[in-house]
Amino acid sequence: MSDFVSVDKLTLAYGDTVAVPELSFGIGKGELIALLGPSGCGKTTTMRAIAGLMTPKSGTIRIDGRDVTRLAPSLREVGLVFQSYALFPHLTVFENVAFGLKMRKAPNIRERVMAGLESVGLRDFANRLTPDLSGGQQQRVSLARSLVVEPKVLLLDEPLSNLDARLRLEMQMVLKDIQKKTGVTMIFVTHDQSEALALADRIVLMKDGRIVQSGLAEEMYSAPRSRFAADFFGFENILPGRDGGLLAWRPTAIRLGDGPHEGTIRGMSFGGDYRTYVIDSALGEIKGSVRAGLPAFGEGEKVRFDLPEGEAVRLEAA
Amino acid sequence: MKPSSTATGTIIGLTLVFLIGPFIVIILAALTAGNNLAFPPDGLSLKWFIKVFTVESFRISFFISMFLAVFGTLTALIVGVPAAYAIARYDIPGAGAIQLAVSSPLIVPGIIVGLALLRYLVIPTGFTIMAALFLAHAALILPYAVRVVTSSLQNLRVDVEEAALILGCSRLGSFFRVVFPNIRGGILAAFILGFVTSFNQVPVSLFLSGPGVRTLPIDMLAYMETTYDPSVAALACLLAIMSVGIVFLAERFLGFSRYV
Repeated sequence: MSDFVSVDKLTLAYGDTVAVPELSFGIGKGELIALLGPSGCGKTTTMRAIAGLMTPKSGTIRIDGRDVTRLAPSLREVGLVFQSYALFPHLTVFENVAFGLKMRKAPNIRERVMAGLESVGLRDFANRLTPDLSGGQQQRVSLARSLVVEPKVLLLDEPLSNLDARLRLEMQMVLKDIQKKTGVTMIFVTHDQSEALALADRIVLMKDGRIVQSGLAEEMYSAPRSRFAADFFGFENILPGRDGGLLAWRPTAIRLGDGPHEGTIRGMSFGGDYRTYVIDSALGEIKGSVRAGLPAFGEGEKVRFDLPEGEAVRLEAA
Repeated sequence: MKPSSTATGTIIGLTLVFLIGPFIVIILAALTAGNNLAFPPDGLSLKWFIKVFTVESFRISFFISMFLAVFGTLTALIVGVPAAYAIARYDIPGAGAIQLAVSSPLIVPGIIVGLALLRYLVIPTGFTIMAALFLAHAALILPYAVRVVTSSLQNLRVDVEEAALILGCSRLGSFFRVVFPNIRGGILAAFILGFVTSFNQVPVSLFLSGPGVRTLPIDMLAYMETTYDPSVAALACLLAIMSVGIVFLAERFLGFSRYV
């Protein structure tokens, strides 16, 4: 295998409860991938096993050709940005970032720490204590602390979920920039499909400790293969087709106002560009979106609609 | 003043009178120029404060009490900090039972602990009184050490230690580099609490005394039985001032009350 990080038949358990059974996947050098899934799907457990914070029951983890499965976290050359940032509260920003370099007795610590702080825009904060910083700043300190030791793999736990919309975009650009400049392989964990789509080159979608589907972000978005994947990526209408297979439509693919089916508007939510209606019909509950500029339907109003087969995604499995 | 605040004021006033009143009585009694322990004092002088330092047995028992308080507390911390760490960080079987066992010196009356140690440790095994005292004091302080340190460990997130592991620390290294600096205040608070508890301990020490081996409070009791002069009051004043001083400094520099 030529994968930079490879996980092979990895089984992870808490006591007798198996959280991840025989998981296998590979990541190329310099790739930015997302482990995506609902809470309890095993994504965080998998990340902790790669970091060495959890000992696998069986299976192997390799980083850059070396078997690290039983290696102490400190010897794996990985970095981890915790969801809570996990900064050392008794140390300044500078000392936090310098921590890993000091442990390695690295030369030029001062210059490397300042360069690391520069790269996350916190050069002027070197002497501050970390509890005084905002959440976004703490996260960037945590990022710099992980990066200055030049890890082979950078792991990030829900890197965008604690940030507001503006900071999210900023952090997204910081991370993309780091990927470009350092070429570090990055794995991040998230439960939010929009985060995964925005940041990742490739997405590994997980459920109950197993991979449901993995592929390029765009491919996952436009061509989910299973009901679970389709549902996760916003195909809210999943119905059996004429041949017995399953077809999935996004609300925007449903045509309202004309068509062979009829239903009653039960509710509406306004989403800026679109109004999304919930329609009760003989086919079950249908969600259809209409551009906000067009005339609106009222609650209780009868409406005709069409499920264009050309716009549907055909699912392979239930 | 509204009736409710009059009531509140009265209660606060009475509380202060009962808390501070005896202290004032003792100070005044110690300042007497007469030869009897009496209140109000018979003239004012510092002669009893000076007398305290000339009593040989007070000097000896003061050093015994000091030794027990300092080394008993250190021993309790050496045992208690790892115990607190294990209780706070690991899902150890029987953690509840351990916590209860550790707290038992708080629950079992000191008189019984002292009697039991004398009857079943010192008499049959020939354990020295000093060794039994040391053991008893360390055990009495242990609950405070475990409790105070556990609560300051619970304020430190586990992932901070994990971050240290990933950045290159060993388990032990992460304890000394990351955990210890963050619970230092709690450990110092436990030390002060343990020190004061040990120093003022009476019931256990009452049974564990022998020729030449007495803690200061017990020595004061024995002194009063034979000599009813105000030097005991003077000594009590000096001890109270020492305790208040320690707690004041701890509060001033550590915010002691956060940990207790």
